[in-house]
Amino acid sequence: MSPEASDKIEVRNLHFCYGLTCALKDLTFDIPQRQVTAFIGPSGCGKSTLLRCFNRMNDEIPGARVSSGSIHIGGVDIQHRSVDVVKLRREVGMVFQKSNPFPRSIFDNVAFGLQLHRGTNRSLLNQAVEEALISAALWDEVKDRLHESALALSGGQQQRLCIARSLAVKPSIILMDEPCSALDPIATAKVEDLIRTLRQQFTIIIVTHSMQQAARVSDLTAFFHLGELIEFSPTLKLFSNPAHKLTEAYLRGTFG
Amino acid sequence: MSQHIFRDYDNAIQHLQEDLLTMATLTRQNLEQAMQALLRGDTDLANTVIAADSDVDELERKVDQIGMEILVRFHPVATDLRLIITSMKISTNLERISDHAVGIAKRARKINQGQPMQEVQWLEPLYAQAYALLRDAMDSYTNHDSVLGQALHEKDRELDRLHKQLTRSLSSQLELANGRSAAWLHLIFIARSLERIGDLSVNIGEETVFLESAINIRHEYRKQPPENQPPSP
Repeated sequence: MSPEASDKIEVRNLHFCYGLTCALKDLTFDIPQRQVTAFIGPSGCGKSTLLRCFNRMNDEIPGARVSSGSIHIGGVDIQHRSVDVVKLRREVGMVFQKSNPFPRSIFDNVAFGLQLHRGTNRSLLNQAVEEALISAALWDEVKDRLHESALALSGGQQQRLCIARSLAVKPSIILMDEPCSALDPIATAKVEDLIRTLRQQFTIIIVTHSMQQAARVSDLTAFFHLGELIEFSPTLKLFSNPAHKLTEAYLRGTFG
Repeated sequence: MSQHIFRDYDNAIQHLQEDLLTMATLTRQNLEQAMQALLRGDTDLANTVIAADSDVDELERKVDQIGMEILVRFHPVATDLRLIITSMKISTNLERISDHAVGIAKRARKINQGQPMQEVQWLEPLYAQAYALLRDAMDSYTNHDSVLGQALHEKDRELDRLHKQLTRSLSSQLELANGRSAAWLHLIFIARSLERIGDLSVNIGEETVFLESAINIRHEYRKQPPENQPPSP
C-alpha cells in the first residue's frame, strides 16, 4: 500500500469477538476515500471496536479477534499474516479521545514518528514537522516555541498536536476516536474545521457520541446498534430522512 | 456578521444568502418585465416572464434545501437561527411575488391580443408603489435596516389607497360594458396582484425586523397608529 494507492476500505461479512462475546456482526460496507465518515450509535454498539479493526489496534487485546470476514484497505487484506502491522499503522493513523502528547517538546512530538519510520535527516525533519503543524492548523500558534514542552499547550492545542503527529508520517487514513470529547466548544470548532480541511487529502473516520458533531463534520454516517450496521447513508440524508426506524429513534432521542 | 471558526458554516450561509439575493433580483426583473409587457403592449416580454418563473421556483427549492442542510448540520442559534428561518420565509414571499408577475404577464398577453387600451396606463402609479415596496423590502434585508423594514407599512397603506381608488374606476368602466369587459376584468385582477405584491413585500420587511432585532411585528401594524416608531435594535 502506498499513499498514491486507493485507500478505500472494504468491509466484508465481518464478525469480531471479545472471547465468546460477539461485538460486531456480519458487517459489509465500503468506506470511500477522501471523505469524512462518522460512526454513531449507543455505547457498546461496536463503533470503536470497528475503528480499531482498521489499524489492528485490537490485536493488543487478549482474546479479541476477527472471527470471520475481512477488511481490505487499498485492495490489501489487512488481517493477512504477511501484513506488517507497524506499516499498517503508519498508513492508518489514529487520534484518541484524550490527547496524549509525549512529555517532550512540541517539535519532538511531531518528529517522533518520522524518526522512527524515516531516519533523522535534520533539514527534512524540520520541513516535515513544519508541514505537519501547518496541516494541523497549529503552526501559527507554536512556531516560536517549538522546543517548549508539549504539556504546556492547552487541551485543544494538544489534540491538534496529536493530529499533527499522525499527519507527519503521511498516512492515507486517519481514525479519530471521539477526538473532541475532552475539548471546550472553541477548541472543538477548531478541530472540526481542521477535519473538514484534511478531508481533501485524507480519508477520515470519526467515532463520536455527539450526533451534532457527526452532522457538522461528516459526509457519510454509519449508525450501529448492538454490533450491527443499521444504516449507512450520506449524512444529510441520514439526519433529515433516515431509512430505518431504529436510526430515527436514536436521532430523535426516543430510543429504547 | 462575524465569522464562525468552522468555515463550512460560513460558506453554507453565504450560499444561502447569495441564492436569496439572486432570487430577489430575478423576481424584481419579472415584475418589471410583466408590467412593461402590459404598459407597452409587448407580448414577447410577457412570454419571457412566463418562461423565467421556473428559475425563481428552482431557487426557492434551493434556498429551502440549503436552509434545511444548515439546520441539520450546524444547529444554528441566535442571529444565525433567525437568519436561516427568515431567509426561508423571504424566499417563499419572493416566489409568490414572481407568481403574481407571471399572472400579470399572462393577463397582459390576453389584453394585447385586442385593440390597444390607453387605460392600461392607469395601473402605472400602483405599479410604481408596489415596485418601491419590493425594492425597499429587499434593501432592508440586504442592508440590515429594520427601520426601513418597518417603514414599509406606511407605503403599503398608500398602495392600498391607490388600489381601492383604481378598482373603483375600473369597476365603473366594467359596468359600462363597452364590449371589452374581459379586458377590464384583467386590469382589476392585475391591480389586485400589485396590491398583493405590496403585502408580500411588507412580510419581507417584517421578517427583516425580526432578523435584526428579534421582535415579531407581524399582524401588529394595522392595530397601531401610523406614527408608531420602529423598535430599537
